[in-house]
Amino acid sequence: MNLSDLSTPTRDYSYAFLDAFAKRELRRRILKAIAIPGYQVPYASRELPIARGWGTGGLQVSLSLVGPQDTIKVIDQGDDQSVNAANLRRFIARMSGVATTFDTLAATVIQSRHRVPEEILSEGQILVLQVPDPEPLRRATPSMTIAREMHADADYAVMWLNLYEQIVRYGEFTGGASYPVLVHSRYVMSPSPIPRWDNPKLHQAAHLTLLSAGREKRLYAVPPYTDVRPLEFEDVFFKVESQYGRRDRMTGATHKFMDEIAHADGSSTFSLSDTGYQDKLVKRQSGEAVTVGATYYDDHGEFYHAGFLKS
Amino acid sequence: MFPTMPAREARAQVTFRAMAAALSYPGRRQTLPVTGFEAFLAIAESLVDLESSYTTNSRDLDAQVGPLGGRRLAIAEAHYQFYPTLAAHDLIELREAPVGTYLYPDHSATLIIGCRFELGLLLRLSGPGIQGATEIDVAGLPEDFWMLRASACAYPLGWDVFLVSGNALIGLPRTTRVEVA
Amino acid sequence: MYVAARGGEEAIQNAETLYRALNGPLSPALVEGIERALPYLVDRVMAEGSLYAPDLAALAIAQTGGDLYEAVLLLRAYRSTVPRLAYAEPLTDADLVVVRRISAAFKDIPGGQVLGPTLDYSHRILNTEALSRDVQPEPPAEAEEPAPRGYFSVADWHRLNGLLAPTAKGEEPVAPGELPDVTRDPIAFPAPRAHRLQSLARAETGGVLALGYASMRGFGLIHPTVNEVRLAYADVRLRHPITGVAFSLGRARISACEVVNNMADRLELGFAATLGWNEVKIIAGAMLDMEMDKADAHPAHTEEFVLYHTEAVESSGFCIHYKLPHYVTFNSGLDALRRVLLKRDTEQRKRVIDEPVVVEGEEALA
Repeated sequence: MNLSDLSTPTRDYSYAFLDAFAKRELRRRILKAIAIPGYQVPYASRELPIARGWGTGGLQVSLSLVGPQDTIKVIDQGDDQSVNAANLRRFIARMSGVATTFDTLAATVIQSRHRVPEEILSEGQILVLQVPDPEPLRRATPSMTIAREMHADADYAVMWLNLYEQIVRYGEFTGGASYPVLVHSRYVMSPSPIPRWDNPKLHQAAHLTLLSAGREKRLYAVPPYTDVRPLEFEDVFFKVESQYGRRDRMTGATHKFMDEIAHADGSSTFSLSDTGYQDKLVKRQSGEAVTVGATYYDDHGEFYHAGFLKS
Repeated sequence: MFPTMPAREARAQVTFRAMAAALSYPGRRQTLPVTGFEAFLAIAESLVDLESSYTTNSRDLDAQVGPLGGRRLAIAEAHYQFYPTLAAHDLIELREAPVGTYLYPDHSATLIIGCRFELGLLLRLSGPGIQGATEIDVAGLPEDFWMLRASACAYPLGWDVFLVSGNALIGLPRTTRVEVA
Repeated sequence: MYVAARGGEEAIQNAETLYRALNGPLSPALVEGIERALPYLVDRVMAEGSLYAPDLAALAIAQTGGDLYEAVLLLRAYRSTVPRLAYAEPLTDADLVVVRRISAAFKDIPGGQVLGPTLDYSHRILNTEALSRDVQPEPPAEAEEPAPRGYFSVADWHRLNGLLAPTAKGEEPVAPGELPDVTRDPIAFPAPRAHRLQSLARAETGGVLALGYASMRGFGLIHPTVNEVRLAYADVRLRHPITGVAFSLGRARISACEVVNNMADRLELGFAATLGWNEVKIIAGAMLDMEMDKADAHPAHTEEFVLYHTEAVESSGFCIHYKLPHYVTFNSGLDALRRVLLKRDTEQRKRVIDEPVVVEGEEALA
């Protein structure tokens, strides 16, 4: 045996930036998170060369997952090309050498801020959602200590009361994104600020979803084929954002989540929020061979788990 | 140009992904990069270090896992517990293994247990990660283990179990309902 | 037409290039100059960055054009990549090479009040001469007797007099490796004292001051006295892994402050310490440490509030994250808002139809 057998060559950074200790810690926490769906697992959360609040939670999870065999897709607001998504993708690729893609179907790991892709994810794919605030009870109590006790007791009365008050005052649920869900009939969870349109995609999904808040140092998971139900009443139902009458200005696609583009005359036009999907539709229309996957909502706006969304 | 992945780290990464897949799809066999005793060691390397705790009933494994720096704690306290073979008499102490608390259900034991995925006990599994139900054959485990596990797993408390047979891995998170068929 | 920030990697590259071009070149001379000329700034960045490395802190300041939040983030990110090789030996008061040490509790203290290097009693006048010519500082006068190696601790005097409990709660010595470490364990509340003091040590100076000052001004329950403020050099001592002999790796500038409060039947101690010399931070921090123990502390002085909201990297990062696009979430909110408005509109129309129509002047006619 000689010294070079015992040492590894000097490197500027560890593979995937994080050192072995940081990765092991994240991996231990991720396994616990999968085993306890919707439960927020505290973790140390190392600082990264990206500002806190800019996806460092998702980034730490992605970095602890990836190996040379992976292909990563990074989106922000559904867009692969927005500057923050480009920056995170560049960082992951630079630190790990993984392949990158804009195609949802080709990715093994998808890191996302605020969206779940429109094409149905399959078994083995991992969706990593960036989370600014992991605590669905934050509006009821700003204290993490009290919120943790409420989760321990499964004491969610305040959430139901809050929904009831919305109905009494406004006649509708007033929640926008981050609409709370009940996971595996036990933990109330924030699905991260995805639009309500994306919430049902987590229910009985084929893929694993990992959610991570770097600043708040909590990570949690929704395993595949797990019940994820939005909070709603037996007679007043959770509703996704209406895409009625909206048509993608580039492809004419309908019944997908649209970005609203405001015009000076007060009117709006619409554009598909999932730009990877939009790119493929454009290619298909121009006759290029491209595989477009099945989508969670069909062209008539029907969700793929029939009956899950009530009306 | 890119940071390289040393062999040891590559093994840890592949092992971890197999474990994550095993817990995500309980009952489905995943493949570890190494087999037998080495498989236990690979799992230990991906979980145990200065900042975690372990125990094992295997002297050989202890000799290899100890240098990873983890605190060796009693069964009632250790978070990662390795049983290359689990005998009926091991169950007496195993019942003390931590199941977590309501505030911190993650402060619980992960059990890594050796067995054989062959004709033995037929187990019917259901729960998160499983569409409907699935079945596995497990041999080489004391039958009472399943009763013990059932009594330890009062969700959200409980143990998370990895079964290892050669280089095959099956995960049974606490959410998995196991019925002895 | 509104277009989301798009254009990806090229835009990022160009933006960074522009920033670097405006800030000018980096050089070893610049970094050395910052380290030499701005020690208090370097101290602050090292403390908030939780990494004692004056040259790297100076580099961070240079590389970010003096944007301190960015400089601290650089150090913290670098810190994430550095392995932990060993734990240093614990320090006691007696181990410090003290250069400044004062107590407000007594006119004189054993060992004396040592003013050391300070601007406290100087006239704060801009030295405009230095705008046009070199100004050399006067050499300090040498003392007749060398300063003592260590100083008697004022808290020990209280203890000798039975005014203070022998060892403050939770401060029993622990093996260094066993100490809870806020950079490795997520913080939970109530926090172990080690987590609390570590968090204060790396907290953002302005944040600690703002909350500490709110307590001092009257939102606090306590009106403590500064028992001792110390600026010192501390040897970082390790034990040789084979011989077991302790040796010094080098010296770090540190500051520490104790405050005492009169609790009617006893004195109580608050404490804060940090890397580098930063008196504002440790005085405000020590007051907060004491305030955070109180049962009915102002919400802004509870442990969770103080420790979360003085975190330099997390607070500044989250603040600037609001620049990121949020159009998906905004749109989701708009949808909910439009539903409410539509419902209201429909109901109003319904009410108009259901209610009897009263035409103005009809009654008069009848």
